Amino acid sequence: MDDLILKKVVKFITPCIQLFGIYIIMYGHISPGGGFAGGTIIASSLVLQHITFGKNDMHFIFRKEMALKLISFSLILYSLIKGYSFFGGQFHLPHPPVGVPGNLLSGGFILPLNILIGLTVSSTFYIIFTLFSNE
Amino acid sequence: MELITSFPLAEIFILFISAFLMPFFKKDKHIKIISISFLLIAFILSVFTLMFVFQNGPFYYAAGHIDTILGIQLYIGPVEALLSFVFLFVFILVVWFSFSTIDAEIQENRIKLFYIMVNLLAASILGIIFTNDIFNGYVFIEVAALTSCGIVVVKETQENIKAALKYLIMSTIGSGLILMGIAFIYAFTGHLNIELIHQVVLEDHETFQKSLLITVALFTAGLGVKSAMFPLHTWLPDAHSSAPTASSALLSAIVLKAFAFFLIKILYRMIGFDLVNQFSILTIILILGCCGMIFGSLSAIFQKNIKRLIAYSSIAQMGYVFFGIGLGSPFGAAIAVYHMVGHAVTKSALFMCSGLMIEETGHKTIDRYKGLGHEMPITFALFTLGAFSMIGIPILPGFISKWYLSLECIHLDKLLLIFVVLSSSLLNAVYYFPILINGFFGIENLQDKEYRSKKVPVKKTIPIAILILAMILIGALSKNILDFISPEFGL
Amino acid sequence: MTLLHNYYESASIILFGIGLCTLMLNQNLIKKIIGMNIMDTSIFLFLVSKGYIAGRSAPIITENYQGVNAYVNPIPSALILTGIVVAVSVTAFLLALTIKLYESYGTVDLEEILKMKGDDHGVNNKLPFS
Repeated sequence: MDDLILKKVVKFITPCIQLFGIYIIMYGHISPGGGFAGGTIIASSLVLQHITFGKNDMHFIFRKEMALKLISFSLILYSLIKGYSFFGGQFHLPHPPVGVPGNLLSGGFILPLNILIGLTVSSTFYIIFTLFSNE
Repeated sequence: MELITSFPLAEIFILFISAFLMPFFKKDKHIKIISISFLLIAFILSVFTLMFVFQNGPFYYAAGHIDTILGIQLYIGPVEALLSFVFLFVFILVVWFSFSTIDAEIQENRIKLFYIMVNLLAASILGIIFTNDIFNGYVFIEVAALTSCGIVVVKETQENIKAALKYLIMSTIGSGLILMGIAFIYAFTGHLNIELIHQVVLEDHETFQKSLLITVALFTAGLGVKSAMFPLHTWLPDAHSSAPTASSALLSAIVLKAFAFFLIKILYRMIGFDLVNQFSILTIILILGCCGMIFGSLSAIFQKNIKRLIAYSSIAQMGYVFFGIGLGSPFGAAIAVYHMVGHAVTKSALFMCSGLMIEETGHKTIDRYKGLGHEMPITFALFTLGAFSMIGIPILPGFISKWYLSLECIHLDKLLLIFVVLSSSLLNAVYYFPILINGFFGIENLQDKEYRSKKVPVKKTIPIAILILAMILIGALSKNILDFISPEFGL
Repeated sequence: MTLLHNYYESASIILFGIGLCTLMLNQNLIKKIIGMNIMDTSIFLFLVSKGYIAGRSAPIITENYQGVNAYVNPIPSALILTGIVVAVSVTAFLLALTIKLYESYGTVDLEEILKMKGDDHGVNNKLPFS
């Protein structure tokens, strides 16, 4: 779309949306939200960029092949971390420290898992959008 | 000893990881190696699990050693161990078979996607079999439904997309009903674990008799759609006949059975034999199973496309499974499981043979297959053995499950049902024998026909031969298998 | 009377019926997908109403733990989140297939699509139960 106002506003608003999404992912374990909700918010910012600047500009920021690899990478990491806590329970492997409730660094594995879910969900939603945008 | 109990979870795990590893590789050859090697590792683990269960009996495994009420629990009894072993065996052979045929059937850039889907499907099928938590089961069912649509639609023709859409719509109806059933059962028991639900249901089933009936009906209809119970089977012939050969073998042999096995879990482990027999649900399953046996075979008689014929035969064979479930006796359920095992091996072999026939002759209709027994003797001989099992020639598993079903009918004083089994068996013969007879004795039609090749390479037939050997073994060891699995159902 | 007092359950069952009927009876594929979404949403309403207990707060402990009786049941919410993810992925898959079908047939009406013959390979559609 060739509209100056739209482009300026989107340039201004995209970082805000992404920051909000990151906030929701990071605080997922101590407040409402989490990886899925935050991931969709970040994906919405990507979709907004795609709509305003078109496919070609988006190609420099976030390519589809890269997104697929990002999804696979975060899913593998997710399964490895989750697998550690699934199988580790049986052999009494050390747990990560629980921390003080309410702190950002608390809740063991939930924070890294939320970040990985956020990465997966945001890239997946962006890929789903590109399936339906006919350009 | 402790280590082996975590093998079932490890099987699911490494299969999921293998699927996510594939996007990092570019060459199709590497992807094929990854797919089959991880399936092989999972198979070896399942062999250990089977041996462990054979020696030590069933066991529970709590993922992460969390309390039963909070965490996800796996239950591995004889049936689960046996089914996972057989299904992984079939998976490996079908994937091996697909190496030589898949390149011709689908576009080159879709091959990677196909193997990702196959490994995800294997993982989710194992999840459905092992899980002891109904919501976890629902998630695995959804993954299985999506991936099985995926392996239909990798071959991008109009027919495939149409069939996959039909399949997906039907299976979303099914999963909606299953999720509603889970919501109902969670509402009045407060648990998601099958054992805990069973305890609550046993204690106060009289207070919510009607809700329980609705729940069982929702589960039966939902899982019935997915495993092609008779009036809900309309998606099956299209999806199974249009898919690539390897996909149809997997869908027909494994995916249908996993859903039917989940139904057995729901009916007999979650609700219990005594309670389920009070409802009329079992009678309905029995009648629908009979209808499926008869009408599946009747419609198969009129089919001209060989893959479509085998797909209709699948509906008839699922009828036997539902017949066994619907008898309402522990032995009936055991035979249903035995039939699943036998049919999984046989039907995948039949589909792979038909795939080779289509590939070599270039025709899909059965009237072009006259004299085929002389053109491709090995493939056609294997097809004949598989068809014999479907018809019910003694020693082969098809005969044994029919035999025991009839015996169980006599035992339960339902003599009328024997005629259904017998007539269905006869109908099976009506549509398989013409293919076989024309194949072996229709030589006079051979003169003016040109076949593209004279022989199928032996390499392609090895997986089918192994499957047929396994089928004969399953038939020969039927007594041992039934003895192994029937304690599960309280015999 | 009991039906009227269980607002959430009644509403969700009615919605479930609407969704199921739309999914089964409508021939338009987009309407079918909408029906599927209504059906799933009704189940989410049913489950979330099971988890809610009037007068209790969300189970997030920030300062001090107030005992089990102060919080609502969080498990249904977790289940629904999973259900939503599943519904989203199924919807995306269905829409993608619908677009593919529309590209090759030029219509989203399932009945018309089924009438049109694709590339035929000895399929006999006229016989019973096909």
